[in-house]
Amino acid sequence: MNAIATRYTLLWVGAVAGLVILGVYTHLANLQLERSEFITGYSLFALMIALALFNARKKLAMVPLIRSAYWLAIHVVGGAASVVLFFIHTGSIWPSGGYEQALALLFYLVSVSGIIGYAMQRINPRRLVQTDLEIIYERIPAELSEIREKAEAVILACTQETGSDTLARHYMETLSWYFRRPRFIYNNAFGGKAAEHWLRLQYRTVSRYLNDNEREYLDHINDLAEMKAKIDIHYACQGMMKGWLLVHLPLAAAVLGLMFWHVIVVNVYAL
Amino acid sequence: MASVSMITRPQRWDAPFGPEMTDADIHRLTALPEFASIDADSFPKHTPLDGILRNDTRIVRYSPGDIVVREGDYGNSAFLVVSGNLRVVIAPALPRNLIGRQLSERKNIFQALAQLWTNRTVPEVRDTSRYGNQSVRSNNQSEADARVFLQDIPAVLDEHQTAQLGPSTLFGELAALGRVPRTATIFAEEEAELLEIRWQGLRELRKYDPTWRKTIDDRYRENALKVHLKSSSYFSGLSEEELNEVADATLFESHGSFEWHVSYKRMRDQGKADKEPIIAREGEYPDGLLMIRAGFARVSIKMGNGERTLTYLGAGDTFGYDELWAGHQGNDISLQTSLKAVGYVDLLRVPAPILGKYVFNKAGHHVTSPLHQLASHAVAQDAPLEWAVEQRFVNGTQAMLIDLNRCVRCDDCVRACASTHGGNPRFIRHGRTFDHWMVANACMHCADPVCMIGCPTGAVHRSLETGAVVINDDTCIGCGTCANSCPYNNIRLVEINDVAGKMVRDPDSQKPIMKATKCDLCETNPGGPSCVRACPHDALQRVTFQDDETFGATS
Repeated sequence: MNAIATRYTLLWVGAVAGLVILGVYTHLANLQLERSEFITGYSLFALMIALALFNARKKLAMVPLIRSAYWLAIHVVGGAASVVLFFIHTGSIWPSGGYEQALALLFYLVSVSGIIGYAMQRINPRRLVQTDLEIIYERIPAELSEIREKAEAVILACTQETGSDTLARHYMETLSWYFRRPRFIYNNAFGGKAAEHWLRLQYRTVSRYLNDNEREYLDHINDLAEMKAKIDIHYACQGMMKGWLLVHLPLAAAVLGLMFWHVIVVNVYAL
Repeated sequence: MASVSMITRPQRWDAPFGPEMTDADIHRLTALPEFASIDADSFPKHTPLDGILRNDTRIVRYSPGDIVVREGDYGNSAFLVVSGNLRVVIAPALPRNLIGRQLSERKNIFQALAQLWTNRTVPEVRDTSRYGNQSVRSNNQSEADARVFLQDIPAVLDEHQTAQLGPSTLFGELAALGRVPRTATIFAEEEAELLEIRWQGLRELRKYDPTWRKTIDDRYRENALKVHLKSSSYFSGLSEEELNEVADATLFESHGSFEWHVSYKRMRDQGKADKEPIIAREGEYPDGLLMIRAGFARVSIKMGNGERTLTYLGAGDTFGYDELWAGHQGNDISLQTSLKAVGYVDLLRVPAPILGKYVFNKAGHHVTSPLHQLASHAVAQDAPLEWAVEQRFVNGTQAMLIDLNRCVRCDDCVRACASTHGGNPRFIRHGRTFDHWMVANACMHCADPVCMIGCPTGAVHRSLETGAVVINDDTCIGCGTCANSCPYNNIRLVEINDVAGKMVRDPDSQKPIMKATKCDLCETNPGGPSCVRACPHDALQRVTFQDDETFGATS
């Protein structure tokens, strides 16, 4: 077993053990008509704080804190455990009371966004590797601009050399749309092949009207289009991997805010 | 309104090695026999002999017990004994605590944390008052004043085998020119005065004076032979007399160019593989055991119309043993593989008869080479190795290897680097890729750090404490030689700003003052490289290619 698997295994064992203890404690407390919510509630509160600290750790990269990889492992396992602990704490999937329902809704949303983000981070890197291209996200606009300029130069050269405007017309009518900016974003994000299909279609559509000389230019355009298709996949996949945090983090902040108020209210009115 | 601050553009020798060198010192040095015989006219006007002595050397005085050089240290200078006697420790080596290895000044946790608010919004801020008035060499000098000393010299002499080094002895040139660690600890036996010559000056002396060239080359050759033979498992059991016979018969060879990076970069820019001089060709008769002393060599075998890399050899590895052993057993066998220089290779060739006499005929010296087993690997299995050798990444000792199957491109590594380096990262998360591996543009702290070649002030140097290749910002003149030399484009020149956030310019040319920057493995920050610590997905690691099984390590 490698170090990563060992790390996660140990954390899962710890999490399951902790949950079993809390579950048994809750069950026994309920049998004795005692209130277990404070223990489970404060456990959940502490766990949520620990999960939130992962983001703080990222801001403190210059300090020799525990490696971020360990924090992520704790975040993933702790996040999953927090869902179970939430059920133990509330005793149901959907609590009663408007405020608690709002808190539960946000908790579910942040949990779901976390699961989606984790899955995305496991799947998308491999998809990016399969493009056989590596590009920094922030450089994508400049790369696309460069490809567009090259494509337009090819079209211009084709027109000047062959005297035919067929390819130029097709470019202006259809292909320019594709080269203008990232396309098929959602399809690329979910692993679709729409861009490939669209490019093949465009190639076949115009190829029949071209002679061999013009077809060489079309092939060049096609090469550029295929390069852009790869960059579009990077744009979609990297964008998703960056963008999901914009959902997860505000939701997590909202849950923390409501959770703090929940704790205050409980301590003021329930004790 | 844009505002700038002005400082004079730094020049070579702005930061002399020994700022306290006086005319009297120079006069005294030129009277020494080692320099009196030099024809000063053979030196070019821009690099005169007295300029070298004034700027690339310094006189250092040692008290009895003072340690001059320590085994394992990386050093960029050689020493000439002017007066007094020194002792070199031959065996056993002095314990680490006795030689008091100095720790580099790391920030404590509070100083590290303080970067959170002390990092400025403007990157690459420098306190320009540091430049010009004093140099780090003078700081080094003050560190040398607080040097470690041996309290009980007689006890050391009793317990360790030592040899005396008297006046006119030159030592340390092997480490200075070969960019290899010091091989022995040397301390002052009595009051001693030494001339320390930094490697840039040593290089110039060797280049322009034939006597120095011969002396350095002879010593270099002799030391390399002795040291390497002694460290080899084949010859470690030999007596001094036998070792001398082996050394006398051994040939010293260099293959490839000392400045291999120049042709490598040119060929790479053209999308071609660099030429690799053949050291030994498959099918030829093996006439001796080849022992790699420095650099790297590729072991390959013919495959189809090309050459397939089986492995690569580095310092301490040998080639041709199996065939020689078979020959000694009476089987006439030619070399089963070829050996090519990957860049620059120093090697020793021990003739077959000598090997037969001192190794094959002695029980317990037979070491089986694993090379013949490597050909049974699947071709695909060796593809990462082939790529790593082709790209010369095998040179890296701390290469930033990113597993792209795990990397989510979050740039946490980049941000961590920036936050530990005043707001500007010291690497680019981009680089050459193979399958799902990327070697990012971060300094690899090479085994053969060619960036150190040509640095006019010695600003690029090996850290004494960690062996990392670091840049001394105080003595960097921003000439870009290191950045141009780096075969992997891992050094960047940056425009600097003063503490007020204003861009720093040269008053004469109005051009910005530049400084070379690169990864320093977070040497001054606690906890090691922040990039590794910051990666949440275990995607980023610093690797020594020779130890990485993915890239052909045969552990």
